[in-house]
Amino acid sequence: MADGFVIETADLRKTYDGVEALRGLTLQVPAGSICGFLGRNGAGKTTTIKILLGMARPTSGRARVFGLPADRPEPSVEIRRRTGFVSEDKDLYDGMTVDEMIRYTRGFYPRWRVDLEQRYLRAFDLPAARKVKALSRGMRTKLALLLAFSRGADLLILDEPTSGLDPVVTEEVLQAIVSHVARAEMSVFFSSHQIGEVDQIADHVAIVERGQVAVAGGLDDLRERYCRIQLVFDREAPEPVLRTPGVVRIRRDGRVLSVLSGAGAAGILDEVRPLGPLSTEVVPVTLKEIFLETVKAED
Amino acid sequence: MIWYKSWLDTRSRFLVGLVLLVLSALGTVFYYPQVLKLIPMANSIEASGELGRRIREGAQLSSSFRGYVWAQWMRQAMTNLATLFAVLLGAGGLFSRASGDSALYALSMPASRDRVLGVRAVTGLAELAAMAVIPVILLPLLSPGVGEHYSVVDALVHGACLFVAAATFFSLALLLSTVFTDLWRPLLIACGVAIAMSLYEAVLRGQSRYGIFRVMSGEDYFRTGHLPWLGLFASAIASAAMLYTATRTLARQDF
Amino acid sequence: MLFRPNPASGVPIYLQLMEQVKHGIETGALRPGDQLPGIRPLAEELVINPNTVAKAYRELEHDGVIELRQGAGAFVSGNARAKELTDKVRAGQAVVAAAVNKLRARGVTDEEIRRLFEAELAGLRKTGERRG
Repeated sequence: MADGFVIETADLRKTYDGVEALRGLTLQVPAGSICGFLGRNGAGKTTTIKILLGMARPTSGRARVFGLPADRPEPSVEIRRRTGFVSEDKDLYDGMTVDEMIRYTRGFYPRWRVDLEQRYLRAFDLPAARKVKALSRGMRTKLALLLAFSRGADLLILDEPTSGLDPVVTEEVLQAIVSHVARAEMSVFFSSHQIGEVDQIADHVAIVERGQVAVAGGLDDLRERYCRIQLVFDREAPEPVLRTPGVVRIRRDGRVLSVLSGAGAAGILDEVRPLGPLSTEVVPVTLKEIFLETVKAED
Repeated sequence: MIWYKSWLDTRSRFLVGLVLLVLSALGTVFYYPQVLKLIPMANSIEASGELGRRIREGAQLSSSFRGYVWAQWMRQAMTNLATLFAVLLGAGGLFSRASGDSALYALSMPASRDRVLGVRAVTGLAELAAMAVIPVILLPLLSPGVGEHYSVVDALVHGACLFVAAATFFSLALLLSTVFTDLWRPLLIACGVAIAMSLYEAVLRGQSRYGIFRVMSGEDYFRTGHLPWLGLFASAIASAAMLYTATRTLARQDF
Repeated sequence: MLFRPNPASGVPIYLQLMEQVKHGIETGALRPGDQLPGIRPLAEELVINPNTVAKAYRELEHDGVIELRQGAGAFVSGNARAKELTDKVRAGQAVVAAAVNKLRARGVTDEEIRRLFEAELAGLRKTGERRG
């Protein structure tokens, strides 16, 4: 499963009660990657995930997982057979014990890995006889991860996996994800608004804003493409019209002109040199800045 | 696993209902000797109009054990309880948040919605059948204890009528729980419909041979020995139609 | 020995890892023939993407700094390249020390010095211009 896209959507749209949650979302997640799905609250992350898992149907557009159409009932069952999912609220059955949850879930997955189940029970230190509703949030998350990992899935879909968790448990969860991916050939698609964790473990990122993908690509590629060009003039900074593609934002602040580019600095430097800046600086841009600038640009 | 979960979700309701109905059956059988003593008194009550007519009719029917069982138990208590528990069993399906658990976990399992609903429906109907048959079967088994006799055939026929008619309310509640995500609205609406229908039947008493509660209590069979085939058939068709609609509704739902 | 890369710095993590390995060789912490941690254990320890570790190792192999031996793991190159780096950087350290002292003498603050170096380097990388 090294080639191709594990998740693919084309112009996906979803309207709930007159509210457009997705407005033409096009996304491609390469197989074998850890893809971070970044966006503000209400940007459409959970809606997209629900459509991928067959919990909601798109108004229009296409969504495919493992090449199977996500909006048809039978392919959707097959998708879920190969996918592990952890919802934002770590939804489980409150009335069952840890052990009962494991046995219940195991019954649905013929490829269940008992060795993984045992490993994670020990590694996460989960009390087998305790009811789910008595578990702390961190332990619920770990149990949900155990259930998702042990089913021998090819894809993990996690909706805000570390939300509400303290830094120690967050790191444990991220480590468990990284460790699991290192052992098995699988893809991970996780939504988050914690830029730090996307920076840390993702190799692919898609930024979604107002129901559309604003920026997407390999994380290293983005870090190399995006830069900030800072120009200082001896007079009031000019307002250049830049024809070079990839300019995200131009900001003037007195004698300083700042250009945020998503396509490298070369073309822009060529264009601004004739303006005669006193000094030219090219500075790398963090994912956080890319995110903040991109979502603000939509306003 | 879906069967097991369906059982887990409904077993409390089922067991409570079964116990209540069994107790009700026991009570009915073992109270009969008392009733026999009261009958002569009923005939001497001076009451006129509808109430008086009913008292005298009740007394008359109760002079036979079979009549007593039908008039005092099946016609009222049994139909009410059966309807109530049919609705309770049907409301709060596997996917609705009302069952206390999240829908999202169930929805993320590799089982089609049709299958989940189907299993839920079959489990519920099986439980309803048990609640309809077990209490009435006690009648032939226990009535010798008070020196009476009740035919097994009668018991089974009444049990069947109870089940088929009550299944309509079960199906209604199940359908409503695919439309509404909370627990209360399906319950209240289904109960409301039941109450409305029973009032309707009460008002039209004698003017119409059709009425679901009439079918449920097996009145035609009791009085004439003929099964209410039309009513049973109509109930079955209505149940099937509502269950089918429930699967279609669920298939289109967004969660 | 390898400490956590800074994911928020804007510099790709694989580059940071490469720098750390090179720095380790240059300071002598890693000697020719030393074995580097495996991809999986390193990813787990640093809590970063295993693909990122793999990429860093691949690039280091491409640069000749390390060797990837099938089934055995990653090892610091035994050849002269690693030593070359060490010598080169030791010389470089002297140049940088002189430059920093000169700038400080002119009253340039450390923060400004750091920014000057970063901008100069970033400028080189972004524009592709090569000077000397």
